[in-house]
Amino acid sequence: MKVQITNGMFMAIIINAVYAKAIGLTQGTMAREIGNDIWISTIIATLLSVLLIWSIVVIIKRFPSGDIMDQSKVLLGGWFSKFISLLLFFFFLCSYGVIMITYVYHLMDYFLPEAPAYIFIIIAFIVGCYGAYFGIEVIGRMALIGVFSVLALNILLMLGSLSKFDVYELLPTFQDGITSTIWASRHHVADWAMVAMTVAVILPYVRNPQEWTRSSTAGFLFGGTFIVMWPILEVGVLSSEVTGQYIVSCMQMARSAKIGQFIHRYEMIMIAFFAISILTQIMMCFLCASTVASKIFGLKDYRRMILPVALILSGFGFWIVYDHHRAMELLETAWVYVSLSIAIFITLLLLILGSFMKKKLETKNKENVEHGTGSNNNKKTSSSSGSGNSSNSGNAQTE
Amino acid sequence: MSSLQEELNKPLTTNVDENKKVIEKIFKKDIDVIKRDFSFHEDKNIPAVVFYADGLVNTQAVESTVKALTIYEGHKNSDSNQENPNSSELTIEEIKKNVLMNSSVEIIYNYEKAINGILVGDTVLLIEGYNRGFLLPTRGWDARSVDEPQTEQVVRGPRDGFTENIRTNTALVRRRIRDPLLCVEGMQIGKKSKTDINIVYLEGTVKEGLVEEVKERLQKIKIDAVLESGYIEELIKDSPMSPFTTMQSTERPDKVASGILEGRVAIFVDNTPFVLLAPSYFWEFFQASDDYYSGFLAGSFFRAIRYIAFMISLTLPSIYVMLVSFHQEMIPTELALSIASGREVIPFPVLLEALVMEIAFELMREAGLRMPKPVGQAVSIVGSLVIGQAAVQAGIVSPFMVILVALTGIASFAIPNYSASFSIRLIRFPLLIASGTLGLLGFSAVFTILAVHALSIRSFGEPYLAPATPFQPTDQKDIVFRAPWWKMDKQPKLAEGTEKRESDNLMPKPPEQSPKSTQTSKSKNEDKGSSGK
Repeated sequence: MKVQITNGMFMAIIINAVYAKAIGLTQGTMAREIGNDIWISTIIATLLSVLLIWSIVVIIKRFPSGDIMDQSKVLLGGWFSKFISLLLFFFFLCSYGVIMITYVYHLMDYFLPEAPAYIFIIIAFIVGCYGAYFGIEVIGRMALIGVFSVLALNILLMLGSLSKFDVYELLPTFQDGITSTIWASRHHVADWAMVAMTVAVILPYVRNPQEWTRSSTAGFLFGGTFIVMWPILEVGVLSSEVTGQYIVSCMQMARSAKIGQFIHRYEMIMIAFFAISILTQIMMCFLCASTVASKIFGLKDYRRMILPVALILSGFGFWIVYDHHRAMELLETAWVYVSLSIAIFITLLLLILGSFMKKKLETKNKENVEHGTGSNNNKKTSSSSGSGNSSNSGNAQTE
Repeated sequence: MSSLQEELNKPLTTNVDENKKVIEKIFKKDIDVIKRDFSFHEDKNIPAVVFYADGLVNTQAVESTVKALTIYEGHKNSDSNQENPNSSELTIEEIKKNVLMNSSVEIIYNYEKAINGILVGDTVLLIEGYNRGFLLPTRGWDARSVDEPQTEQVVRGPRDGFTENIRTNTALVRRRIRDPLLCVEGMQIGKKSKTDINIVYLEGTVKEGLVEEVKERLQKIKIDAVLESGYIEELIKDSPMSPFTTMQSTERPDKVASGILEGRVAIFVDNTPFVLLAPSYFWEFFQASDDYYSGFLAGSFFRAIRYIAFMISLTLPSIYVMLVSFHQEMIPTELALSIASGREVIPFPVLLEALVMEIAFELMREAGLRMPKPVGQAVSIVGSLVIGQAAVQAGIVSPFMVILVALTGIASFAIPNYSASFSIRLIRFPLLIASGTLGLLGFSAVFTILAVHALSIRSFGEPYLAPATPFQPTDQKDIVFRAPWWKMDKQPKLAEGTEKRESDNLMPKPPEQSPKSTQTSKSKNEDKGSSGK
């Protein structure tokens, strides 16, 4: 029986994979572009992204025994699959750069200004490799803890900032026009594209294919709800002008939160919760990038690719965060183009190809099911069932 | 094959002297192995001998057996004599049935059985003319009586604890579960120690495959000796390199009984009062027996206190070191000033100060534990009060640090399971070092690694952090809080099937009519009736 995660874990992975960057960096970028309407733009982006995720679910449902790369192989052969894998690897490489900007600048700029950037990269490397080694199941459970952290973080922020919230700051809406507001949502759609590509890799590991559409939509909507609270508060408390002045605008928001007279600074508690979520995102990124790399090299076990992939990703991450200007360049322009073009291109391509070759996919899928093969090579009792008495020694997914 | 093994494999002979010589040769250097010659049968005086290990046997039982054999008059009891009065020969089965009159007597054929029997406290009986012997169950040695467990004391609850005698221990559980489905299976582990191991479970309640898994793991153990259940635990547990305890060890029979009722398997090891329970979840280590005997509100409250104690024990020194070393701006101003004034004269960085104090505390705890009781108490008091106070006055440590370390120490002792409390103390150190060197970054990284590790481990196939993750809604009634007994009506998911533990509507309710008023109305009715008459 292959490794499987519950729909709850899947939703938790979706939320964790988008939350960290979307609440701060993206809002700052959008605030610089459209001012007060960042919260509207965030909502629009979430709704648009639901279309993207539905497309991914439709694609994977055509060939549920394999991920998007396996499906590409069935559609147009091994080289096409390698091409898609290469594109996805480049996508995850860039997304790791963005994740590192979020992670490093949150901690370095606000808590450890004297610490060198490579320390953050090394820590992310260690934690990411450790989590990726244990695989989707453990990361899925970690993501559940991450969701609790996200909830705690949101509640803490609300407690500390609702008293200063001024609803009139949100008005007038559509100050820069509807088109600009919709266009600005590309920044947040780029964040959701990161989730969509992650889903394209992990969806076959999720139980109950009939629930995939519902759970992914729910994951997007819950994630969107957790995120949209931030731009509303940022505009209502800080104002869009102040939000736009910071790279990590959510930290400024967290700094301004205050509970009573004694707890006047508690952003460290919030950032501790935030760290759990972003470290889960790092693990997930390593896992997906390693899986993609293993498909490029035709390896059956992604674990062999964790170290080389993590080194490449970390090297790129360091290069990006070392220079704030470079980081901003990637964040505000390059990332949006790379993310959206790759995600939309792959999705549309496979959607069209798959609709023409439905029969072929169905036949191959049946064969895979009969032979018990598929993208997932980890043969292990599902932990989600909570049963089974396998005598594994600590490694939840070791074959 | 060694010469001793060859000797042991040989069959017994009909010549009692020859058999005697072989056994004497094997035990030639053992003064505690007693040989007693006597004559079997009052009339015929057949040479016979018994061997036993002094101190391991109940000598009165040996004496009475020997006496019975010496004064035995064959014609009264022998079946063969009744059939044929002239026959004087008794078969080996007849001796067992009519002379020894004990169903537990075992007939042995070779020296190995005889020697092993002597070593476990049985008595070997050999009679001239028979190429087989008898193993008489005469085990009886001085043992500690059933006493209150030293490591798991309760305010409300039974005071009996396991002893070093495996049979006493299984009996303590059987007294609590009088169900014919309670199975006690036995095996021996240890080439030299031949330690008795019992696997106890409730058939039908234990999940399919769990008992087989436990047995398989136990059978894989090839070791010279097992002196305590810790050997077994370390040899069969999942994640042997993990600091987390994945098997529960307990001295309390009520805890074992409750574990068995929930579908767990108990492993009893002879010569130790610690019984193992498998599988175990992380959350079980915060559950004390009192929780179930006190009201659910009190039980839940104390359990919540234990979770707080766990968090304090694990993170308080790390958070303090992290705040004071790297993130002073996060401390409220008044508190920061107070800490700063206390640290003004301290020459060491706060991480070093914390490490020294933590190690000093562990040192005092360890010394207090190993020293004779009266001295140990004195050392603890001197250590905690005098040395702590002196260290503060000498400007080596800050008063805040003393308070923190004391609080952390006390918190760690609030965790009911000693081995779990130890593992928390162990994982505190990497967290402390990471927080002291990398601040929030180190703290969050090590905490996440610990969380990932805990999420990845299993206990006999069960996820270690279940039922929190994977989430099992019905099992939440006994994790963070303890629900009232009338609400805990279902078996936990760990157990086989969906058997209900309780009947419906067990919540106590007041009677619709108070007993007094019922009585009054009854007597009124009676009065009416009598007046009517």
